[in-house]
Amino acid sequence: MLSGPSFETKMERVSETEMLLNMGPQHPSTHGVLRVVLKLDGEVVTGAAMDLGYLHRGVEKLAENRTYGQFTILTDRDDYLCAMLNNWSYALAVEKLLKVEIPQRAEYLRVIVGELNRIASHLLFIGTFGIDIGAFTPFLYAFGREREMILDLFEQLCGARITYNYVRIGGVSNDVPDGWVEKARKFVAHMRNCLKEYDDLLSYNPIFMDRTKGIGVLKKEMAISYGVTGPNLRASGVPMDLRKDAPYGIYSKFQFTAAVRQNGDCWDRYMVRRDEIAESCSILDQALEGLVAGEIMGKVPKANLRPPAGESYAQLEGARGVLGVYIVSDGGLSPYRLHLRAPSFINLAMLQDMLKGWKVADVVAILGSIDIVLGEVDR
Amino acid sequence: MGAYFKKVYDVARGLVTGLGVTLRHLFLPSITVQYPHEKLSLSDRFRGALAFHPEICISCEMCVRACPSACISLESKRNEETKKKDLSWYKIDFGKCNYCRLCEEVCPTKPKSVHHTKEYELSFTNRNDFVMDWRPDVAQPAGSDFGQIWARFMAQGQKAGINIKSNGSSTPSDPVAF
Repeated sequence: MLSGPSFETKMERVSETEMLLNMGPQHPSTHGVLRVVLKLDGEVVTGAAMDLGYLHRGVEKLAENRTYGQFTILTDRDDYLCAMLNNWSYALAVEKLLKVEIPQRAEYLRVIVGELNRIASHLLFIGTFGIDIGAFTPFLYAFGREREMILDLFEQLCGARITYNYVRIGGVSNDVPDGWVEKARKFVAHMRNCLKEYDDLLSYNPIFMDRTKGIGVLKKEMAISYGVTGPNLRASGVPMDLRKDAPYGIYSKFQFTAAVRQNGDCWDRYMVRRDEIAESCSILDQALEGLVAGEIMGKVPKANLRPPAGESYAQLEGARGVLGVYIVSDGGLSPYRLHLRAPSFINLAMLQDMLKGWKVADVVAILGSIDIVLGEVDR
Repeated sequence: MGAYFKKVYDVARGLVTGLGVTLRHLFLPSITVQYPHEKLSLSDRFRGALAFHPEICISCEMCVRACPSACISLESKRNEETKKKDLSWYKIDFGKCNYCRLCEEVCPTKPKSVHHTKEYELSFTNRNDFVMDWRPDVAQPAGSDFGQIWARFMAQGQKAGINIKSNGSSTPSDPVAF
């Protein structure tokens, strides 16, 4: 039903000159199953409401009858484009409960896989955002070539290409195979050259810039009031990056700058991610250089892991924003309650205000530029 | 008017710059793989379909407890003579398997009685076919670790008139012709 009671309250009233239009749930630019109900006056959007839950799997509830070790594989399926960072944020929360020390080598490996996964996630954004705007070619380079290289590296490291189950409670699951560090170094060098190609193909293409510059402006105040985090917030001129502001792991050891842009339009949101790839490359250089020898697993019981009763919240800078995990433990084998702070879900909320006043054709550009993953939105 | 022509010039230049990238790649080696005629070699750590060896298994049920999606089940009988457990049957539901390697990691036998293979081309037309069972008294079809599953998969292919060739669970994959 288009005009169910819930949508009428969200959209106020639909006047005689306006119409409701369903975008999705099966729409190629929603990157998943998301329904956006648009209220249109001619070609101008006057209201928008999101309809979520098509991909809901009840991950938070499933955690309550899985052991702590078993739940890691479900975090993989949460935001499936940066599963390493999901694993990591969950491991951080449990480690906080256990008060366990992580070996240095494991910390370095976490940073390496985390940054590689951040690059992979941003590459997918660059590719699909191009498609949303109408440029197909960058997708073949970003998604089909560079991202595949990262997935190959992950496959050699842990055996899987999407759902890694690599960052475990207390450390990481595998040490690097022979020659892996060299391959990763080679990839970082290759990635730097590729950024120039993306600039030629997409970033500074006048058609692309016309479609994105000045479109979907997100004001600094609005971004903060909606709780937006990650690249979307940094594109609006707020230099908030947890890797800098509240360093977790060993991020305080690395020299880097948070990519910030000032205008908050679609092009800035794109460019922040493009800059972040370069920034991740420099972190990777330092991490691969500093990779120390040693253990990869801390002192954590392999079976019957029972963290002491209590609660913990851990957060890290995911590819889409602040990725938080809140765990309440009653001292048993599985969490009493687990909550995931999914950045995509929170970033999506601002869309209802952001779309107002823009043309229908811009909706796709704006939706694409905030880079949501529906697996994480619906959880 | 001047602004208009400048715009036309800018857009044309943008197009040519982009096409320049394409042109450069025309002379670089291709990265496309003609699957299924060519296959990439997988890493040794690749987590493909699970294989099971009933003759090694000691029925300790560690894998059953480790599995997050409860896809493994087994039954065993206590042998009064040897004071050990004898395996009656062992089932893996591939429709539920997460390919997470938790079962392989906890398996106490050497070599591992349950482990991942490099098989990734697993598809069945019947949901019941996803449940594989192994019994120690039933001989395993020869060929690979993956014998029984593979036999069932082949039989299905033959029924459909397709001649399927395995890429082998331990050999590096060469280009395979269909």
